[in-house]
Amino acid sequence: MNHIERDMAALSDAEADRLPTYPIACGVNRKLLGDNVTYSMWCKDPKIFANGFIAGQKYFDFDFAIGLMDLSVMAGDLGAHVRMDDENTPFVDKHIVHSLEDYEKLEVPDIRKGRSHVIVEGTRLFNEKLKNEVICAAFLEGPLLALTQTAGAERVFMDMFTDPSAVHAGLRTMVEFDRQMVEAFSETGVAGLVWDYLWGNYSCLGDEEYNEFEGCDKYAGMLNKLTADSGMALCIHNCADLPHLDTQVKKFKPVIYSMAYYPLIPDSPSAGEVIDKGYADNCLIAGNIDPQMFIRAKTEKISKVTSDLCQEVKTALCRRGLKSRYCIASGCEVPPDRATKLDNIKAVVDTVKRDGVLEGC
Amino acid sequence: MNKEEILNGLSEAVILGKPDQARSYAQRSIDEGIDPLDAINNGLVKGMSVVGDRYAAREVYLPQVLMSANTMYAGLDILLPMIPSEELEDKKKVAIGVVEGDVHDIGKNIVKTMMTAGGFEVKDLGRDVPIETFISVAESIKTDVVAMSTLMTPTMDGMKDVIDGLIESGYRSKVKVVIGGPPTSPEFAEEIGADHRDANAQDSVAWLKEALF
Repeated sequence: MNHIERDMAALSDAEADRLPTYPIACGVNRKLLGDNVTYSMWCKDPKIFANGFIAGQKYFDFDFAIGLMDLSVMAGDLGAHVRMDDENTPFVDKHIVHSLEDYEKLEVPDIRKGRSHVIVEGTRLFNEKLKNEVICAAFLEGPLLALTQTAGAERVFMDMFTDPSAVHAGLRTMVEFDRQMVEAFSETGVAGLVWDYLWGNYSCLGDEEYNEFEGCDKYAGMLNKLTADSGMALCIHNCADLPHLDTQVKKFKPVIYSMAYYPLIPDSPSAGEVIDKGYADNCLIAGNIDPQMFIRAKTEKISKVTSDLCQEVKTALCRRGLKSRYCIASGCEVPPDRATKLDNIKAVVDTVKRDGVLEGC
Repeated sequence: MNKEEILNGLSEAVILGKPDQARSYAQRSIDEGIDPLDAINNGLVKGMSVVGDRYAAREVYLPQVLMSANTMYAGLDILLPMIPSEELEDKKKVAIGVVEGDVHDIGKNIVKTMMTAGGFEVKDLGRDVPIETFISVAESIKTDVVAMSTLMTPTMDGMKDVIDGLIESGYRSKVKVVIGGPPTSPEFAEEIGADHRDANAQDSVAWLKEALF
């Protein structure tokens, strides 16, 4: 099978030669473009951004390509100050909401400029090059994530409690920002759009709060429908520790759901448990190698972890009567550090090719 | 209003996340001559413990916890200055901060709150804290604990730099070093020479109490 045949088989739970794999390697791909290419260069130039994914595909032989940049793109374009070190993931260091009135003042920026433009144009470029090889998807911050990045998470959470109407005012602007980005991404030709709905996790919000400030009946529900109506497959990424699986998998109904695993957190679901509980019945679950292993583990160790995960997944799929609906991935982005070992990314892919082979139950 | 009603009012203010109520009851406790340490421990801290337990049981979530923490500090701002300094001398001291290069501090703030509620005197160094600041503050105020967190992978090595700096300065043997944040793990703590890494704030505070008291 080629990559796309394998992806399509896994998405529909048909017979596949092996499990698909996609360690979420994005910014780290710049290392393949030369030592002089810094993170800040990669995330500010659409061509360099795209070339990173193209080089990554050639070197690692992934089954998917997802255009994740970082989580300060929207906040930065909204006017928050982004600290942009050469080799660190950029992050917001000065928020722009200092009073309840400030939520009302947020305005959607011109998405033909700034890093919104970079990510849209860069996604278009890598999709053009890779679309016949792998399934390509764009990546976008959900409205609540974009607002917390802009206003500060602590501020937003407390205002949810005391002044929810102000938070909703800010969210309406984020939804309009997201709506314009969905439109722009739909014109790039990508097959899917991955939403980062990070705050749907029980370490931060309960069902009631999540439903009020992002959930099914609110902003996310509308944006999910818009995604599908715009011709892109709905995908979700949530690397938090206790994701709202019933809402984000069963109610949102994405075709792909990418999640992490935190073995030290009680109730954090393992790959086997996620499959056993039926979340892979209608959705390709992607997970859950610890991203830290790409920096800190020896190659033999990450190969062993990948091999064990393949076995766990294959056993659970059989137990559940499923054929192929799990993608061996990294839960969160592979750290884009200079210190990340490219050999470890390759080891994951190579191990899945060997130990992810599906031979029937 | 009797003492019990005032203490319950302080607890309730924290549980419900009402800073104005906490300030009002804190002032009343002073006016009624209640020992401020009693008002803190059996009012504010008692309330925060209830919230901590409910958070651990997933009965309340981050918005409520943050508001309760905010409320506890509103009460503490009034009550702490009323405590004679010699009564605070026995308190174990913590210097806590987010390491240099990172500004994500919700987790650090939750841990700080639980440490305060757990009876520690906490010096909050804030976020994006230079390595030298952790070391110099630890030495100058003679902390018993250095607590560091980060959300971001590239800044994790800053934790090791702080520990190495504490070793160089000769202060490492006098402090417990605890770390936290999603990319960290007990294995990483061991690798860099930290004493402990826990999955949540309450367990971390419980470990410190066991280790120090």
